[in-house]
Amino acid sequence: MLEKHIIDAVDLETTLLAESEQKAREIGIGIMKSFGFKDVDVVFVEHNGFAARIRLRAYVYRPGDKYSWASVGDER
Amino acid sequence: MKILLVPLDPVHDVAVKMLNREFSQRGHQTILLPPDMKIEEIVQICQRETPDYIMVSRTLGYNAAELLGRFIDLIDAAGLRRKCKVVVGGKAITKELAAELGYDAGFGEKTRWEEVVAFVEGREISAEGKTVEKFKKEITRGYSYEIKDSAFRELLEKIAGQIIEWANQRTSPGVERAKIRERILKGEDLLDEYTELCDDLVRSYYKEKVIPKHVRLITQEEIKRLKELLSKSSYSPRVLRHSTDKPLVFVQYGTGCPFMDAMHIKVSEAWGADGVLHFDPSWGARCEGLLEGLLAHEEDGSIITLENLKLIKSALGESTLWCVRAHRGVNTPEIVLLAHEAGADLTKINMVYGSLNGGSDPERLTVDGVYAIKLAAKFNMPFDLPTNEELGGVPAHKAFAGMLAVAYLGVKLGAKPILKPLFCYSPDAIINKYMEDNYIDYNVGKVIALREIIDAPIWPGEPIGFMTHTEDRVQSAMTTALHAALGKSLELDAITVSSTDEAYARGAITTSARIDSLRAIADAFRFFGRAKIEPTKQAYEYAKMIKEGIYQTLQRVAERGDFVASLYEGLFGTKEEGANPGRAGRGTVRKC
Repeated sequence: MLEKHIIDAVDLETTLLAESEQKAREIGIGIMKSFGFKDVDVVFVEHNGFAARIRLRAYVYRPGDKYSWASVGDER
Repeated sequence: MKILLVPLDPVHDVAVKMLNREFSQRGHQTILLPPDMKIEEIVQICQRETPDYIMVSRTLGYNAAELLGRFIDLIDAAGLRRKCKVVVGGKAITKELAAELGYDAGFGEKTRWEEVVAFVEGREISAEGKTVEKFKKEITRGYSYEIKDSAFRELLEKIAGQIIEWANQRTSPGVERAKIRERILKGEDLLDEYTELCDDLVRSYYKEKVIPKHVRLITQEEIKRLKELLSKSSYSPRVLRHSTDKPLVFVQYGTGCPFMDAMHIKVSEAWGADGVLHFDPSWGARCEGLLEGLLAHEEDGSIITLENLKLIKSALGESTLWCVRAHRGVNTPEIVLLAHEAGADLTKINMVYGSLNGGSDPERLTVDGVYAIKLAAKFNMPFDLPTNEELGGVPAHKAFAGMLAVAYLGVKLGAKPILKPLFCYSPDAIINKYMEDNYIDYNVGKVIALREIIDAPIWPGEPIGFMTHTEDRVQSAMTTALHAALGKSLELDAITVSSTDEAYARGAITTSARIDSLRAIADAFRFFGRAKIEPTKQAYEYAKMIKEGIYQTLQRVAERGDFVASLYEGLFGTKEEGANPGRAGRGTVRKC
């Protein structure tokens, strides 16, 4: 139950070998999805020639969600 | 106690030198060996000296376990193990490693020297170490609000006098609702009278129990669980400022959900924030009337209800200052009332920014603003005056003229205003190339100009470094930290800081992003200490230019003789400059 401990999101920073910024984005999103995250985004990417510094994010919870850490019910 | 200090390392001996100093000062007999000695040599010295403690330090991780293992074996073989306690510490050490190798104790990387000394002296020491005590500070204390230049005083007096006289003859649904709410809070049943003055969305909520879109009710069970969670959220308080008293560091919250807000608040407090500011949803500012109950909102901004505010209050640390934004809408007086009722320390009212960039009609917000300031004065709740119209393109001097007019009005009404010049890379600064060389001079010029005019607290925001942030976490933390350092250098009273998600618009701000900025600020404050950032001569030129611009703007407004008309007519910023008079609440003011 990792969700019990993550307050909101998981960020992952790495440097990817990629020929373009777009390619780096695609690889990055693919990495996050391969971990099983669904709500993913590229927060930041800086491509320079052959590599890209990238910060990827997966929201485990967005505000208003049901947070496992608070065992919050959803009374819509 | 006789203590032998051994740097079992090729070069690193700072830790044992520090311990040597502390033990010596406390009257212990110490022997400090140099680094890079052979193990056999050290053991011989140990045999000769037979100390009570052999304290070994090892920084380098390479080969550490093997070397430390061999050392303890030799100590054992020399028959010293029964006579001396052998302790190991350093970056390469963990308690587990020390125990595994047979040492009496192990101290890792973040050990404080007090812990080691306490161990040797057989004393207990708390795991958290020295407790930092934080106190709630009064930002406005010590300021006289004296206008230093009589020419400015004359203009401000004239403008404030005109506003008071004008507003005294007028009222609005916002003012009337605040009056009703005040009576409701005292126990009267006036819901029908209240909802008469509300928009349909609010009326339906009270009368037909229709919950607005994207809003959901929070249950008592959830509250109970949140309280349990908060009760477990203990932490060691941190002070970011290092060696100075100023500035206090504020963060803004308004995730939409009071639960997530509470978590952001606790994380920010734990990493050193001194205060927090509550931001509500933008629709709340345009909608006549406030909801009630515990409500979450699935979009940006946390709904203002008395119950939500009280929930937030319950999450706040005792020393944490709390500001609830009131000024940006048609509920300004009522929000000041609820903020006070919930225990807020500060509020935010600026009719000029609120009506030129916040979407409220100038006439309406002036009526509401004056009443709200009177409430703030009655509750002894200081209010801050943001000048974020600069972000739309309004020149700083015009934004400041508006801020000073409202600040002086506040003083006349018995309140305590706080000036909020924006530390930002504004469109006006970009177009006019005020910041081509650096981000220091123009911001310093703003502060000098204001200080030459009035003796009042200054709290740049919201947030500092606006428009200098990017989505790059390192860059964002860096620019916030540098602007914070400038605020510290100028001895400003407070600053509002962003997270490193400031420029990231596709998702909610994360708690990690808040920590990033606070960590960077802590290091910037540590780096500068009491040292100052030196602006160039240009800062003084900018100060002169801004001051003259403020004077000319105030002069035009005073000559116009009508503050509200001045707002509509662009004297505090034209439409071309991005100052568009708002429409919310237009046509609702009536004479009384």
